[in-house]
Amino acid sequence: MSSMLSAGAHNESNVEVHKYYGGTVIGAAFLALLFQAFLHKYGRWAELIDLPLLVTIYFGVSKRNPVSGMFLGALIGILQDALGHDGPIGMYGIAKTIIGYMASSVGAKIDTEHPASRFGLVFILFHLHQAILAVTERALLNRPARFFTPRLLLDSVITAAAGVLLFSLLDRLRRQS
Amino acid sequence: MVGIFSRHRSLALLASVVLAQLLLLAFQIKRDHDIRLIRYWAVGIMSPVERGGTWGFSSIRGIWTGYIDLHNARKENQQLRAELGELQLRNRELESQANEAQRLSAMLSFHEAHPEAPILAAQVIGASADSTSHTLFINRGTRDHIHNNMAVVTPDGVVGKIVEAFPSTSQVLLINDRESGVGALFAASRTHGVVKGSGDPDPRLDYIVNDEKVKPGDVLLTSGDDRIFPKGLLIGTVVDSKPALPFQLIHVQPAARLDRLEDVLVLLSQQEFEPKKAGEASFPLIPDAPPEPTASATDPSAATAAAAGAKPVSAPAAANANATNTTGTAGTTAAAPPASSTKPNDSAAKPHAAAPVQNSPVAAKPAAAARQ
Repeated sequence: MSSMLSAGAHNESNVEVHKYYGGTVIGAAFLALLFQAFLHKYGRWAELIDLPLLVTIYFGVSKRNPVSGMFLGALIGILQDALGHDGPIGMYGIAKTIIGYMASSVGAKIDTEHPASRFGLVFILFHLHQAILAVTERALLNRPARFFTPRLLLDSVITAAAGVLLFSLLDRLRRQS
Repeated sequence: MVGIFSRHRSLALLASVVLAQLLLLAFQIKRDHDIRLIRYWAVGIMSPVERGGTWGFSSIRGIWTGYIDLHNARKENQQLRAELGELQLRNRELESQANEAQRLSAMLSFHEAHPEAPILAAQVIGASADSTSHTLFINRGTRDHIHNNMAVVTPDGVVGKIVEAFPSTSQVLLINDRESGVGALFAASRTHGVVKGSGDPDPRLDYIVNDEKVKPGDVLLTSGDDRIFPKGLLIGTVVDSKPALPFQLIHVQPAARLDRLEDVLVLLSQQEFEPKKAGEASFPLIPDAPPEPTASATDPSAATAAAAGAKPVSAPAAANANATNTTGTAGTTAAAPPASSTKPNDSAAKPHAAAPVQNSPVAAKPAAAARQ
């Protein structure tokens, strides 16, 4: 584990770390939460895409810093919990904290610029996110939660496809070095 | 321990953050989700933006839907205008059919009211190209037993007479034509005269002496003296009268609407119509006539005729009767003018074989109109 991390740290120095204009990350996270809450008013189709998750993954991968990715995930998750009405605060917080950390860690090791790798990364992290949510619900809240359903598969594909498009848009917000 | 933490600082931080959130969850579960402050802040931050977003989205959607609605309204307006045009056209058609049905119904009523009179219904198919002559063409001719000098009427009143009968059409001389003359009498006073065309839309009543009291609204009937029109048919009413020499100048409003004729009736004989009694179905063609005086103060010849047991005939009427045996040229004296300037047909006096009413449009068209 330690060798992996050290290897990762070694690789971090060889991978380009993207920088953004001030307020871009917070603004994008805020807009993602806003759209997620806002679009729910106009139909259930908005539930198919988890925009806060996509933003967490993108900036985690781009920053390539597990600590900042983790805190960004924690912030987005806790706000997402807070904007809900029926769940305790911390469910999405824990899940997105872990996802932000993992996305940053993975982004430091593999190429995440190619659309296919982005699609695969989002697809996997989406299911991991859902798995953490399900475990937390079962273990802490004693709620029945399904780990995998056909609907979840559809959601993951749609979210991954949307992630590819969203990431290309967010790439435009990068500060030119 | 510190060394491990420093080496795996990020992992330790992750574990700390997750643990903190787990504790937060546990705390909420114990206190039944009682973390209002975080929710309060989150909602406080998000709700103004959401409100603004909703307002902006609604505005954009309102503008868009307004544009779409306007576009649709324009399209709908065009469709409704087209539909309105079609309905107006259809309405006019139905009105026309209703009017036709009404006319034909009136004709049928006329025929039913006077079954003794052989009548043939005809349609007006054209008019004279000459603006100075008032003639029209009907779709009946000699094949339908129509001959010259047969009377043409409508349920409203006298129209004219046949002047030329062709195999399938006939030409009708209207009573307001210059060449036309109809023996007439006042329904009230029974004074005889001649209704002549003057070239104007309204004919005139001639040969009424200035001493005769004539007032607007006086009803004029056919006198039957011209041997063309049966006695008692409604010609029209007096519009105005002026003293003149040698006779009064009296304008007559024809009862039949001569400028809007579409269907007419041809009387196949000069058989007189039986006046209807009070209480029976009356018909405007034959208004209730007062009892005919045996002699008229202004009509000495009639008095003479009455004394002789003959039918009372006025001076001009007597002249008309004389004119029926002449070549039909107009009289040269004012005292003895012909009522009809054309040659009367001898056959007009004898009844013709009437065409079956079932074959005439009078009987067929109301049913067809009713079906529509």
